[in-house]
Amino acid sequence: MILATAPIEVTASPLDAVLDTVALVLILVGALLCLTAAIGLLRFRDVPTRLHAATKPQVLGLIVICIAIALSLRSWAVLAFIVPIVLIQLATAPLSAHMVGRQAYRNGTLDRAALYTDELRASKETPPAAGG
Amino acid sequence: MNILLLVIFVVFAVAALLTLWRIVTGPSILDRAVASDVLLTEVMCVLGAEMAINQHTRTLPVLLIIAAVGVFGSISIARFVARKDNADR
Repeated sequence: MILATAPIEVTASPLDAVLDTVALVLILVGALLCLTAAIGLLRFRDVPTRLHAATKPQVLGLIVICIAIALSLRSWAVLAFIVPIVLIQLATAPLSAHMVGRQAYRNGTLDRAALYTDELRASKETPPAAGG
Repeated sequence: MNILLLVIFVVFAVAALLTLWRIVTGPSILDRAVASDVLLTEVMCVLGAEMAINQHTRTLPVLLIIAAVGVFGSISIARFVARKDNADR
């Protein structure tokens, strides 16, 4: 490992050092988003608000970390691997969030006094063919 | 540079520990499902960060598989809670 990295440091250009530093800063941003989600999980009170905190690293944090990977490795093959990862994560994160949020509503594990509006209850009270 | 790496490691570790605490003391099973989803995302972030820091590509397929399959955990937990709820009525 040391033998492999020694020639790279000799021929390293200033642009490489800048890109590596930018990648490290982006990783730090992703780590701080993970920490934000953890603090939100601890301090919020019910399932939907915790879900709100949980989606920060799921989408933005992973995108930031993937940009850091692309900046650090600098190859098109890696970029072709990373784009599907981000797209799949963007497609599947709302699925689980929707299911968990709906079950939290049905289970009663949410703070109903904190809701501003309850559109789901209004649509349940109105029959589907009532025209309202 | 070393200080930046150290800060990254500490932030990831603290975030994982706080999430683990919510998994242990979650009042409902849905809280635990959300927290374990966050922990899985954090595993993805740590794998990607390690790949970017050490400049290798060995864990890219792992990231792809976790992104594709990790969603089924929360969905199946949500379905399980729904079945149990309907049986109680």
